[in-house]
Amino acid sequence: MVSLARKNLFHDRLRFVITVAGVAFAVTLVLVQVGLFMGLLDKSTVTIRNAGADLWVTSRNTPNIDFARTFPETAVLRARSVPGVARADNLIVAFMTIQLPSGAAEGALVYALQDFGSWSLPWSVTQGSPADLKRGYAMLMDHSAARRYGPFAVGEQREILGRRFRIVGTTLEAASFTTTPIVFMDYRNAQELQEPLRGNTNYVLVKLAPGADARAVQAELRRRLPYNDVLTREEWARQSRDYWVKSTGLGMSMGVTVFLGILVGIVIVAQTLYTSAVEHIKEFDTVKAIGGSNLAIYRILGEQALIAAVIGFALGAGFSYLARPLMATIHLNVLLSPGFSAVVFVGTVLMCLGAALVSFRRVAGIDPALVFRT
Amino acid sequence: MNEIVLAVRGVTKVFDEGRQRVHVLRGITLDVAAGELVALEGPSGSGKTTLLSIMGCILTPSSGELEVAGRPVRSSHEAARREVRRLSIGFVFQQYNLFPALTALENVEYSLNVRGVGGRPAGDEARRVLARVGLGDRLGFLPRDLSGGQKQRVAIARALAGSPPVLLADEPTANLDTATGAQILDLFQELAKVERRGVLVVTHDPKVRRIADRVVGIRDGLLVDVDGEKAAA
Repeated sequence: MVSLARKNLFHDRLRFVITVAGVAFAVTLVLVQVGLFMGLLDKSTVTIRNAGADLWVTSRNTPNIDFARTFPETAVLRARSVPGVARADNLIVAFMTIQLPSGAAEGALVYALQDFGSWSLPWSVTQGSPADLKRGYAMLMDHSAARRYGPFAVGEQREILGRRFRIVGTTLEAASFTTTPIVFMDYRNAQELQEPLRGNTNYVLVKLAPGADARAVQAELRRRLPYNDVLTREEWARQSRDYWVKSTGLGMSMGVTVFLGILVGIVIVAQTLYTSAVEHIKEFDTVKAIGGSNLAIYRILGEQALIAAVIGFALGAGFSYLARPLMATIHLNVLLSPGFSAVVFVGTVLMCLGAALVSFRRVAGIDPALVFRT
Repeated sequence: MNEIVLAVRGVTKVFDEGRQRVHVLRGITLDVAAGELVALEGPSGSGKTTLLSIMGCILTPSSGELEVAGRPVRSSHEAARREVRRLSIGFVFQQYNLFPALTALENVEYSLNVRGVGGRPAGDEARRVLARVGLGDRLGFLPRDLSGGQKQRVAIARALAGSPPVLLADEPTANLDTATGAQILDLFQELAKVERRGVLVVTHDPKVRRIADRVVGIRDGLLVDVDGEKAAA
């Protein structure tokens, strides 16, 4: 079968390029913006997902993992007594000030566990060992801290809240939504640094015994710790994500960007397809005169929209995926998943077909008798 | 007697233009037989394009009857008229109306696709009719690379594809030089005589008289003899 749609589309190369560029632009905008957002959100839950805890005990209404609140550390004892709990430990997550060799002071997000060996925090250690954190004032510092603190090396010392800490190792991928670098230290050292932390903790990490019913253990923990929240890993991650999405306006901002991307795509595709349809009216007259129906013409326009959608998506998605490593060099994490890409593809096809509807209206009223007018 | 492939009986056409009713056709009766080439002449505004549109099942008459290839056309049904156009009528236009993005072969093949013929049979038939009009060596040419005469031959091939019994041509030589126009008219005559098509050519070209079996005039919506007198009923 001869595809008049494809032939016409490729015949007018400039218009075709503009159409495809419009679609590709919209796709890139949506993928990169949402990818950046997802990358940010990923950071907001990376420690929750990697810590290895099945349940998290938090103070009541803690909005997200970075904005921790204190409660008595003895809660951990009650947690340990619940049947089905294999292990429970206190975790402190606190913002502290770190003094840099340059004289400047920066913020640091301190993660301090009672027993690092029983958990996956930190989960990616590139130098040293969490076991070394028990040896005096020691800390592991994430590689990403170099951007804020300048270069550092194992064996060097940094001052946190007036106390000198030796860097005994480095980690990878430990990041927070606020971009504040994460350092790991011993639980007691962290408590010593901040008065409000003494005798208090921010979280209790709970690991379930093999075969334990998570919901039952969660219910029992809630009963025994009535002034705390007890959340599964997924619930806690969702709550942390939701905080940034809903409370900060970031979700709305991203929604507006996606809307604008789609709008730009629709306008460009609709405009170019419509102009093309108007310029090919005489051809459509001929199609109808020789026996083609409106449906045949709709198919032509629909096929053109579909081709623009597929090629535009391929280019936009290709560009977005290629841009990922480049953006990573400037520390922007664009998180793209095949599932989300598939959603964007379906959206692109619908967007282009929707844009073609404008042209459908124009060609629906074509009078084939015009073929006899010169 | 030759089979009548196109029959128009008492056809009128009235257009409403604001408060005015314009009677464009006032009762036209005309037959075209298989193997016959009829020339339809008339000045601008005489109603010949309207008559051509009605005979081509594009416009509906206000009254009267139309038969194409022996089948009455139910003029009120667009789908039925489209079906007649698809299967029984080939059109040749003054401006050729080729698809600029399609090659000669594709132009013909596409019209076959519209007529429901696809794949290899469409390709074979398109090659056959293009060879028939002398363009067997121009299959891959785009219309922009063809001369006016060649374009009109492609248009004729497109009209011939699918072997419709009726060919309707609107000023097919108007944009051609004298020699090329003569070749095209000879081709029409050959199609009528050799392939037994009913051919109606709307024209201002006096040379058509040379090859036409019959010349019919139209003035103010009525058929007249070629000297301008009213035709006998």
